[in-house]
Amino acid sequence: MSDFEPKIVAFFCNWCTYGAADLAGVSRLDYPPNFRVVRLPCTGRLNPKFIMEAFKRGADGVWISGCHPGDCHYIAGNYHARRKFVLMHQLLESIGVDPNRLRFSWISSAEANKFQAMARDVVEHVKACGPNTTFRKEDLKLGLAEVA
Amino acid sequence: MASHNVVGAVLVAGGGVAGMQAALDLANAGYYVYMVEKSLAIGGRMSQLDKTFPTNDCSMCIISPKLVEVGRHINVELLTLTDILSINGTEGNFTVTVRKNPRYIDMSKCIACGECTKKCPSKVSNNYNENLDNRKAIYVQYAQAVPLKYGIDAEKCLKLTKGKCGSCKKVCPADAVNYDDKPEEATFKVGSVILAPGFAPYKPSDFETYRYSDSKDVITALEFERYLGATGPTMGEVVRPSDGHHPTKMAFLQCVGSRDINRADNGYCSSVCCMYAIKEALIAKEHSGGKLDVSIFYMDIRTFGKDFERYYEKAKAAGIKFIRSRVHTVRPEPKNGVKIGYVGDGGVASEDYFDLAVLSHGLVITPDTKALSENLGIQTDHYNFAKTSTFAPVALSRPGFYGCGVYTGPKDIPSSVMEASAAAAAATSKLTPARSTLTKVINVPAPVDVTGEPPRVGVFVCRCGINIASVVDVEKVVEFAKTLPFVEYAAVTMFACSQDSQEKIVSLIKEYRLNRIVVSACSPRTHEPLFQETLAAAGLNKYLYEMANIRNHDSWVHANNPVEATRKAMDMTEMAVAKAALLVPLKENVIDVDPTALVIGGGVAGLNAALTLSSQGFKSVIVEKEQRSGGNANRIHSTTKGEDVAKYLESLKNKVLDDPKITLVLGSEVDKVEGYVGNFATTLTTGETVKHGVTIIATGAKEHKPTEYLYGQNNKVVTQLEFDEMIKSDDDAVRNSKTFVFVQCVGSREPERMYCSKVCCGHTAHTAVELKKKNPGARIFVLYRDMRTYAQKEDLYKEARDLGVIFVRYTLENKPKFSEADGKIKVEILDPVSGLRLLINPDMAILAAAIVSGRETELAMKYKVPLDEDGWFFEAHQKLRPVDFATDGMFLAGIAHYPKPMDEVIAQAQAAAARAVTVLTQPKMTVGGIVAEINQAKCSGCGVCVAVCPFSAISLDEKGKSVVNEAMCKGCGNCASSCRSDAPSLRGFTNAGLFAQIASAL
Amino acid sequence: MPALSDINSKIRESARKLLADGRAEVVIGYRQGTVPMTTSPMFARKPAECDQLIWSNFARINLANYLPGRPGKVALVAKGCDARSAVGQVTENQILKDNLYIIGVPCTGMIDTNLVLAKETRPIKELVETTDEAITVKGEGFSTEINKADVLRRNCQTCANRTPKLADELIGPETPGANPDDFADIKALLNKTPDERMAYFKDLIKDCLRCYACRNACPLCYCPICFVDETRPQWLGKSTDPMDTLTFHILRGLHCSGRCTSCGACETACPVNIKVREFNRVTELTVQNNWHYEAGQSWDQKPPLTMFQTDDQADFIK
Repeated sequence: MSDFEPKIVAFFCNWCTYGAADLAGVSRLDYPPNFRVVRLPCTGRLNPKFIMEAFKRGADGVWISGCHPGDCHYIAGNYHARRKFVLMHQLLESIGVDPNRLRFSWISSAEANKFQAMARDVVEHVKACGPNTTFRKEDLKLGLAEVA
Repeated sequence: MASHNVVGAVLVAGGGVAGMQAALDLANAGYYVYMVEKSLAIGGRMSQLDKTFPTNDCSMCIISPKLVEVGRHINVELLTLTDILSINGTEGNFTVTVRKNPRYIDMSKCIACGECTKKCPSKVSNNYNENLDNRKAIYVQYAQAVPLKYGIDAEKCLKLTKGKCGSCKKVCPADAVNYDDKPEEATFKVGSVILAPGFAPYKPSDFETYRYSDSKDVITALEFERYLGATGPTMGEVVRPSDGHHPTKMAFLQCVGSRDINRADNGYCSSVCCMYAIKEALIAKEHSGGKLDVSIFYMDIRTFGKDFERYYEKAKAAGIKFIRSRVHTVRPEPKNGVKIGYVGDGGVASEDYFDLAVLSHGLVITPDTKALSENLGIQTDHYNFAKTSTFAPVALSRPGFYGCGVYTGPKDIPSSVMEASAAAAAATSKLTPARSTLTKVINVPAPVDVTGEPPRVGVFVCRCGINIASVVDVEKVVEFAKTLPFVEYAAVTMFACSQDSQEKIVSLIKEYRLNRIVVSACSPRTHEPLFQETLAAAGLNKYLYEMANIRNHDSWVHANNPVEATRKAMDMTEMAVAKAALLVPLKENVIDVDPTALVIGGGVAGLNAALTLSSQGFKSVIVEKEQRSGGNANRIHSTTKGEDVAKYLESLKNKVLDDPKITLVLGSEVDKVEGYVGNFATTLTTGETVKHGVTIIATGAKEHKPTEYLYGQNNKVVTQLEFDEMIKSDDDAVRNSKTFVFVQCVGSREPERMYCSKVCCGHTAHTAVELKKKNPGARIFVLYRDMRTYAQKEDLYKEARDLGVIFVRYTLENKPKFSEADGKIKVEILDPVSGLRLLINPDMAILAAAIVSGRETELAMKYKVPLDEDGWFFEAHQKLRPVDFATDGMFLAGIAHYPKPMDEVIAQAQAAAARAVTVLTQPKMTVGGIVAEINQAKCSGCGVCVAVCPFSAISLDEKGKSVVNEAMCKGCGNCASSCRSDAPSLRGFTNAGLFAQIASAL
Repeated sequence: MPALSDINSKIRESARKLLADGRAEVVIGYRQGTVPMTTSPMFARKPAECDQLIWSNFARINLANYLPGRPGKVALVAKGCDARSAVGQVTENQILKDNLYIIGVPCTGMIDTNLVLAKETRPIKELVETTDEAITVKGEGFSTEINKADVLRRNCQTCANRTPKLADELIGPETPGANPDDFADIKALLNKTPDERMAYFKDLIKDCLRCYACRNACPLCYCPICFVDETRPQWLGKSTDPMDTLTFHILRGLHCSGRCTSCGACETACPVNIKVREFNRVTELTVQNNWHYEAGQSWDQKPPLTMFQTDDQADFIK
């Protein structure tokens, strides 16, 4: 399993965690290249369906990160998001999705080091889960056909 | 001064948070701004803070959108590394001469890649981190700096000092280094000047008692702030400097360099240290997982601002110890830590060991600022703060000059921001004839309609010199991009952001009829607006643009893995293309703005707001529910600076009555409200309907009716306002009294009202001084919990003590006991210092009754603005938007926001007016772009989107279906993710677009 | 032990009066189904039609499903759970409170037909129900009395809200709620390993036809276009990939969270007898644990996904 390189989809809010990732770049803080970032204006924009879509298409992990509670650029977006996260986290864990595949974090735009540490941690945990064979479509091509 | 000679530009000196706010308000109100900053970048002290009290917001997170806005504003000219040499002329027309010091870097070429810093051999102590670590001689002030351009520290650079080295020039991929850069003088004209030069933290070096100079484990609070900061020397790890271990026990020493005329010459209170110490203590405790033992040694805890008292209570609940005492000795221990000797209550001497001692140092005016004041002819007080009056709180002594921030007295961020907006209003009150004469507008060709055309995507992959190309195989990314659906053109560029590349992109858009553009380069957070301008210049709707961040998120962080970095760059480009193909042109619409304000409340705040608006040329209607204007000020005798309030109020009321632009409606209230920013229609209880573009809420507050201390039972027990009225009318009862007892915190800082009423201590100290001056034989006792004579008001406290006023402290558990015998009042109080029980028989007792909110629930609901739990109107952001509501077009002033003294009320009123002007000054407002829209066919009318919208931008229409008001939507997308049937969609971030990104990420 | 005939006559009396007074333009209640052990919805618009209204041990349909978007004044015959659904619909603007009249019937639980068929395997030709506590089923040469307590639907066995609290009137005396922990089995499930849980849920829905009968029976599913029918983007594949099926149930569970009243209409409607409510029960447990909210218990409490507290706990967020 050691040569398994997971594919992770990350959803970052523009104002905090995306900024932290920018700052990590400026500070040349390296981390594993396993995730791809979808930039959202706010974690409040994260529809739980996006998480399902990523897993359905074969993501080995999903990482969602935004501003700390109280720091939201849109005043309350992450407070509303937090309630959705609680439900999604609990529901997926309850039906047996390994919680290590799904990470939620708050990283401010100043926390480049936290970003680096979290990125490493996410990848490490998803790696430990192994490839996602159970919580995805059996035929991934079918999924793509639907988009086109 | 003839009005046709006035200049429509303003100089703002200082690029801290106050200067930035002033600059933005000015530029958004039609004035050209020269912002002069001494250092390499704007941001000021706030950029050094980790968190801000009382919300513990991340400082950098909240300031950085402001930095970017200032940096990109077409009407703010940023002059960094610049000193003001002279300002000549008169109000309305000044000539400013400045010296631009050399940066040694061509700002137009520098791409901030940092290659130079990597190679620079000179290590220099890093002042951004309070010299706790090192930077290089070529550097950026901090990672998020604006402008994000490097500069050379001439004193430390080997090339500039010794003629050796030259590495930076060799490695610079953009050829930006210029060792021959020279200072340049420049002159320009402005109509007025705003000074916001800020402060320096007090340096405790020569303060032997505290052993700052010779003990590593005694540090300043700003140093500690940097230790807490994620970008600090330890990246947020709290350490004991002597050995790098985590401290287990630490102490804060308050009032270092404040309230001290013995060693520091600073008699004033620095106003912010109690709060920042509590903040740092809470955060340090949090970092340690709650294990850290923290003590705060203090004289008075001054948590007088909005939500501050609760913050203090929270700290106590978290186990932070507050020890009332002045520390007399700090003794470094042989290896690490210090012993602190202090005398506590009852005169008991104690000594205790701490791993770390943090000195809560005050705010001081620097010698440079002092020299600036002298040079410009600005009068200052004996602490070097610029002099202002209560009634014109941002006007400086020289006509045409205005001040804000700590320059006019120690204060926190929200007060500085309020004053900055106020200064913007005051500074332009005489410049209205020149409004919009010097400002620039961007002219772009009308966009080509691409609706219905199949996507033709152009992809530009940036090398960023070697920043991207040395890691990512950019050619391979381009070849890959060419294979993607809808891609018509793909190419590599050296620097996508350079002028020639931009021009090339414009011509390629035309040549290949490209209608969607993807740039794979750096961060959209910094560069998206630039490329959007390029699209606009080419006649494309600027929203047909998507960016892949293959530098910050890829080449810079995967330098050791070029193969995977290239693969990632390909994926990221594919994701961007997939999203871009689904983008549609977004419309921006214009709506009319009714250039009138409705001001609710005709007290000092409301009247000042209206007058300020009038001076800017805007009409307003003031609604006052009483039959007279003036509010609580009608009852106040004099200000803490000794100014006569009645006289002021009379002239204020007359000015309002004489002003043709102001309509005052007495005995009326708001009945019905319709509309939104730009187009409100408010019906008053008098039946008339006012059409207005903005609303300022200034409904004030009232004095609490005490239920203790014999109030209402003995007519010699009165409230502070009642006592003021008695003084005003020269009441016999006052004249014939010999002994006075003042009781502070009557109804404030108690469980049912957990806030400080802010004005009482200053007013009491002032009144006591006045009484004593008039009648030196009077016996005056002030019974208090913490004296909160913040800022320069500390002088009054000292003066009162010098005049013989006796201050006795009490605690909530041990309140003074009032009893009555034969009509005489008897007061009993335990003096904690001596442990003795005092008996006083006052002729009069004056109760500093709390200020309580009007709890205007109905008004709040009508305008869709929130109240906090104490009933104060709740602003958009406690730090940076203190007079705005989250709902556009709604503003706030005066004590409806929170109790505050009159100078702060007036500043806030001027600030609210300034913010309102930024709306009113636009005859048409642009709305739209990235906003939500509702597909009503999918809407069930369940109201989830209405409830979750933070900006009250969604409502249900007459059919019961949701509808978005584009003027109020900020584009967060909460609605789109909360709806079960996907009726709302966020333009620019549609479900389809994001799905396409997810699909191509995998 | 109220006789069903008593309940019937009270419902009819109330319905007639409401129609006669103009307090309701239609009374939505139950009538006898066409086969034994079923009921059908009945829309009585004239007093004379009210004689067809009945109460039964098989009144399993949640008639609140007929409320959203209905114009005019409506009276609804409702069990505890149905009344809660109706209250929820008022908070979600699906019907005006002033237009709704709830004829609350204190309930003693409804029967799961499958459990009856399991107890009496011989072909049943006739049902006799005279009280709300027991039934008698008859067939060729047999007549079996079955105690209702032994054949209650799953949701009814643990229902604590049998009396419609917010009804405009109650037909008969309040009935005590059952007391067992409604979530005991879910909590037990959560103690199993992730693999066991995944296996459990995958097995649970393996027969799902994606016919959406559960959605159609649900009073919460009133969206004009359901996400399953959305095409741009298509949230759910049209194939029968088990992941698509699982996604449907997960998202339905999320959509119902803080809104489900455990009426069981979905499970009753499922043609292949899937315990589709399992997903909702996980989310309801989360809602109750975190935000102490139960749907339809008050007219003015805000649903949990339309609000927040600044100190909401979410320790899993790092």
